[in-house]
Amino acid sequence: MKISVNQLRNYVEINVPVEEMCERMVMAGFEVESIEKQGDNLKNVVAAKILKLTPHENSDHLQICSMDIGKEEPVQIVTGAQNISEGDIVPAALNDSYLPNGMHIVAGKLRGVESNGMLCSGEELCLTEADYPGAEVYGILILKNDVKVGTDMREVLGLNDYIVDFKITANRPDCNCFLGVAKEISVVLGTKYNPPVPYFETKGGDINDCIDIKVENYELCPRYMGRVVKNLRIKQSPDWMQKAIIASGMRPINNIVDITNFVMLETGQPMHAFNYNDIKDKKIIVRNARAYESITTLDGNEHPLNENMLVIADGEKPSCLAGIMGGKESEIEEDTKDLFLESAKFKRDNIRHTCRTLGMRTEASGRYEKGTDILNVEFAMNRALQLIYETDSGDIIDGVIDRNNGLPEDRIINTTAEDILSLIGVDVPTEKMVEILNNLGLNAEADGNKISCRIPSIRDDIEGRADLAEEVMRIYGYDHIIGTPMRGNVARGTILPQRKKDNKIKALLCGLGAFEATTYSFIPSKAIDTLRLDEADERRNQIKIINPLGDEYSVMRTQLATSMLTVLSTNINRKITEGRFFEISKRFVAKQLPLTEQPDELATLSIGIYGKDEDFFTLKGIIEEIMKLFGAHTQYERSNEPYLHPGRQALVKANNKPVAVLGEVHPEVADKYDIETRVYYAEIKLDILYSIEKRKTTYKPLPKFPAVERDFAMLCDTTLPVGDLEKAIQSGGSRLVEKIELFDVYTGSQIPEGKKSVAFSVWFRSADATLTDSQIEEVTAKIIKKLEALGAELRK
Amino acid sequence: MKEKLEALKAEAVSAVNSVTDEKGIEELRVKYLGKKGEITSLLKQMGSLSPEERPVMGQLVNKAKQEVEELITVKKAEISKKETEQKLLNETIDITMPGKSGKPGKLHPLNTVLNDMIDIFQSMGFDVVDGPEVETDHYNFECLNVPADHPARDMQDTFYLGENLLLRTQTSAAQIRTMETRKPPIRVICPGRVFRADEVDATHSPVFHQIEGLVVDKGITMCDLKGVLEQFAHEIYGKDTNVKFRPSFFPFTEPSVEVDVTCSECGGKGCRVCKGSGWIEILGAGMVHPKVLKSCGIDPDEYSGFAFGIGLDRLTTTRYKISDIRLLFENDKRFLEQF
Repeated sequence: MKISVNQLRNYVEINVPVEEMCERMVMAGFEVESIEKQGDNLKNVVAAKILKLTPHENSDHLQICSMDIGKEEPVQIVTGAQNISEGDIVPAALNDSYLPNGMHIVAGKLRGVESNGMLCSGEELCLTEADYPGAEVYGILILKNDVKVGTDMREVLGLNDYIVDFKITANRPDCNCFLGVAKEISVVLGTKYNPPVPYFETKGGDINDCIDIKVENYELCPRYMGRVVKNLRIKQSPDWMQKAIIASGMRPINNIVDITNFVMLETGQPMHAFNYNDIKDKKIIVRNARAYESITTLDGNEHPLNENMLVIADGEKPSCLAGIMGGKESEIEEDTKDLFLESAKFKRDNIRHTCRTLGMRTEASGRYEKGTDILNVEFAMNRALQLIYETDSGDIIDGVIDRNNGLPEDRIINTTAEDILSLIGVDVPTEKMVEILNNLGLNAEADGNKISCRIPSIRDDIEGRADLAEEVMRIYGYDHIIGTPMRGNVARGTILPQRKKDNKIKALLCGLGAFEATTYSFIPSKAIDTLRLDEADERRNQIKIINPLGDEYSVMRTQLATSMLTVLSTNINRKITEGRFFEISKRFVAKQLPLTEQPDELATLSIGIYGKDEDFFTLKGIIEEIMKLFGAHTQYERSNEPYLHPGRQALVKANNKPVAVLGEVHPEVADKYDIETRVYYAEIKLDILYSIEKRKTTYKPLPKFPAVERDFAMLCDTTLPVGDLEKAIQSGGSRLVEKIELFDVYTGSQIPEGKKSVAFSVWFRSADATLTDSQIEEVTAKIIKKLEALGAELRK
Repeated sequence: MKEKLEALKAEAVSAVNSVTDEKGIEELRVKYLGKKGEITSLLKQMGSLSPEERPVMGQLVNKAKQEVEELITVKKAEISKKETEQKLLNETIDITMPGKSGKPGKLHPLNTVLNDMIDIFQSMGFDVVDGPEVETDHYNFECLNVPADHPARDMQDTFYLGENLLLRTQTSAAQIRTMETRKPPIRVICPGRVFRADEVDATHSPVFHQIEGLVVDKGITMCDLKGVLEQFAHEIYGKDTNVKFRPSFFPFTEPSVEVDVTCSECGGKGCRVCKGSGWIEILGAGMVHPKVLKSCGIDPDEYSGFAFGIGLDRLTTTRYKISDIRLLFENDKRFLEQF
């Protein structure tokens, strides 16, 4: 909330520089968003007297002014203005001066004549009539003739104020006003707090003859207070009031509207002024709107209403949207004769809902949403009447109507000094605590160790000893808190097994040259179509965000390919020639849609690679290493993932459970991501991989006897998978086979059409003895038999 | 014969001394000491000597043979050493040429920083726990003392997925789950991803990361909170870092504080990074609100606790002086390589 410091000085003595006050307020829990020193943007502009005016030789509208700026030598300034004469005192921006509109004035020549500055209009100084009479006149601002020549314009304009923007936390709605902040300042600085004491005189009559007020829904309107003021004298409000209103970011309108706004800014209690003469049947009814009713508010917009919304109606129809905005029909205008003035408390949830529903937000509704004090309703009303009385804005009719269902008593909190201190760990003397609590208006009394507080309704944020501890400490000073090292159990903390396993995979992948990526958990809703998934594919059951930031971030991902392809695309299109990336994140799998319970969040690993040395098999190599890490027994099967190349993809089964897919990305999909090169992608379901119980690693003795290596070269159908041949060798050689290595696959010249040449090296070894030639021959024969059974033809 | 031996020995010594390569020395060995070598053959001429002279002469010849042989051995070693040295010299390489290795990848900077933090808090006895990213209104707000329509809900714009289901806006939700499943003493951190409906710009991201800390035990005070945060700050920012508490408000802690540390850029003198204040805000914290304890079945009259929430993304960008948070989610390899 922006507040003029000059205004605050009416309520509290500020005996330190403004910057220091702000710093101390920050340390008491009131963050300062900005300190604006008035006139900071107005530099080197002085009041100057026109000594002589000479016409410019080369211009029919320019005049050359000889200006007395309070120094020995006059200064020459050329101006185009016509409303000036010799002897006038005007604002002169001298060489190297700054104006509030951002202009920087330097000396120069105008049509060949030297000009050492500029004479200023009210507009150029960003002034209105409220700031200085004549400020809105077309032409140069003529200052009062008693202004001393040479005086800085900041002084002339009285720009000595600071405007401080305090950030008020949600627990302190009582500080969304001048008085709330002033009270805090008085406690922080230890100075006196002087709130206004409303006084006004009435002019007879009886309110009960003027108006009838009925509250139909006390739950939504716990208190409604009304007064009538007749014979309004609509005019401008006083300068000081306009300045305070402008400083807080509102616009002065006329005395009545300004008084309601000022009282809201000062007390935090919104006020509303009705044109009394527009109130039908002289009835004010606080009620829920009826279905199909509507209201046109002050801003000219018509709003359809519903039965949950609270309105202030007259005998016929709603004339005000309670707590939010008045109706156009009952607006205070220049010719308004009589006034009905409202001060009320409305339930904050209801105001909030209505604002949301209608998409409205006003200074008043903001305060109601944050919470207002039911007892403040009366003070604010009296304060408004005082201002009406003091500014002679109308005749106040005798009597008040105050509708409420009972007013709250102060709440008593009984606690002890120890209980308050036990949360803080700092020894604050009991007398000091009591003093602080009393200064804050919490009416504390100590009896030995017992402390009893009487909490006024305005501080309904104070609920118990924790709140009292905070109140004491923020004034006593948090710098009294001295850190103590962690006590108790000194054992190192534990970490979840899942995180440990993640870390193992990450270390492995980094070792294999892959970079960890981090991407958003939500993706465009249409991304799933880009992946060519079937209509029936479960991954289409994406959870939609009800209020997304835009379609780009609108659904929770059910797969990680979209994100990884984006990463690859970013890098490829930035001319990075190769890369390996991975991410461990979550897939969100709904148990049902629309969502009624928390979805499964499944840990998933995605890997994307590209570059001239990468292919399906480099990716497969990476997958194999990961599977080994978890001791998984793996199988690779042909698969049909729609976003992968139909002939270059595989499903990976770990201990017979499908755990991953890998392959080259389908060119059509890659194309949608502006990827023109071949890229490879794998997605691994970590929830499944991590469920594999890895057998404990135990040492196997190193071989004592030599191995024998034999090569097997063969011709077979091109369609016969190498994996089948490998299995045949393994089964033929059984326990004697130590290692099988594929070293050549060849098709082309000298190989018959439809055939390929495949060659393996196989190592045989026995743990018990050196293998004999006959043993080798026997096992070789078995292997050959198995290979031949598959249709392979051994080459000699 | 004796003279002949002397002459032969002198000749051999001089020949060996002047030879320079391994081949030459081998030739000399054969010439003098081989089976048909000149010194060896002297032994065969012993027959012409008297029986008295023979042993004497035999001894002399053997001695000469031994001496020449020793000389050859020494010379041979010398030559071999020289040749090796020369060979190694010829193999000299340009050591300024780049190293070769399979280039390792890197962890994402967020996780590098997170791992450091996990390590620090684990060493202080904090267990590391996890919580779901899709939370219920109950855990994300209600239990954290933010009832429906509470003005505090305005402080954060939440992504909703369904009736009472949302993307968690704070890892604090995990506090509740922890307190429901564990009995005090509790000492946990919960790192995780959180979501808020912030438009993307240089300092805002709708997806970011927090580390929530929670301690509940008998007699826990704000001094304990400060002690833990001081140790954390010392490890992250260095021993000379000071920690300052500023009063603040969070619905789930009371008292609540914003925590500032000495600006690591200027050491507290005031600079552009800290906007001249000498301090930078790093986290929010406070004593767990009695209502929160109660809603988790912990008696606030018996136990107290503190909680804190650290923004991992901000910590990462300040540590590495990353000017734009969007870089963290762009995954440009040239960026990822730097950490």
